[in-house]
Amino acid sequence: MKKIYMILIFAGLVFGQNSSRKSLIKINNAWIRPAAEEANSALFFEVTNNGNKTDSLLSAEFKFAEKVEVHETYKKSEDVMGMRAVKAVAIPVNTTVKFKPRDLHVMLLNLSRDVKRGQKYGVTLNFKFAGKVKVEAVVKEMPKM
Amino acid sequence: MLSFKTKKYLLVLFGLILTGCKDKLPIIENLNENKYSFVNHNNEPRNFPEFVKGNITVVGYIFTNCPDICPLTTNNMRLIQEKIKKENISGIKFVSISFDPMQDSPKTLRKFAEVRDLDLSNWNFLVGTKQTTDSLMKKVGILAVIGDSTVFKSGKKIYYYVHTDRIQLMDKDGAIRKNYRGSSINVDEIVNDIKSLN
Repeated sequence: MKKIYMILIFAGLVFGQNSSRKSLIKINNAWIRPAAEEANSALFFEVTNNGNKTDSLLSAEFKFAEKVEVHETYKKSEDVMGMRAVKAVAIPVNTTVKFKPRDLHVMLLNLSRDVKRGQKYGVTLNFKFAGKVKVEAVVKEMPKM
Repeated sequence: MLSFKTKKYLLVLFGLILTGCKDKLPIIENLNENKYSFVNHNNEPRNFPEFVKGNITVVGYIFTNCPDICPLTTNNMRLIQEKIKKENISGIKFVSISFDPMQDSPKTLRKFAEVRDLDLSNWNFLVGTKQTTDSLMKKVGILAVIGDSTVFKSGKKIYYYVHTDRIQLMDKDGAIRKNYRGSSINVDEIVNDIKSLN
């Protein structure tokens, strides 16, 4: 009987840990820009860290892109914009970081197919502590800001 | 019968109205005397701005490897086109010019437009030689310099531009009358400006 209790407690700890780990990072409003085969697109979303330590988005995976990079658009000077890769994006505790147009985005490079409005795709985001977080993103044009 | 004094006031008032309109959208750069040879998304020759003369034209500047600013600019041009159609304003043309002739071709421009379901009935995407492109960009005040790049496993390298985020409004004579931030333009503002030039 004692063994059963021990197993139940252990199982509770394992599953409890998994469910709390799942809830640490929450992704909302994921969307992808339309783009043609062999061209590039971008993934946007909002990420909230409900954990008790800062996490970081390190990379992402998309099976229809040859390469995926985390990028940011930056203002070089008045009306002049540039774009550059970033190594990681910190997601502080109890904070929502927005990956949005004219700002942070996940770049989907050299697509192997047309990505068209209305389609939905799975993307995996890789976090330093939360690990792999799968998200479904809808293809659409810029939502009204 | 109006008195001389009243006529004088009316004349001054009329003059002020005319000056006010002109001052609202002064000529920034006149391309009237220039000819830039491009091809469009169907690989058809287009001399800019000659081929749009007689039409008010909304001009955007893009490169198709751009994942953020240029798609926003293009989508905003689509929104302008839709609003113009809705308001039954006719004779307006749209032109998107690539400042990246090394990576963009008529085919990439066509695919860029097609995947977005753009209405190309009054919209041309243009690409030309590097010399022609650089010459036009200098004339219209568009900065486009190569910035970061990405290298693929195959060794293929693509690069991104640091560039001016701009849409321009060109009058029927080929003169640039106003600059707007392409990725965040106020659609109502440009449509009102189009109405005042029409």
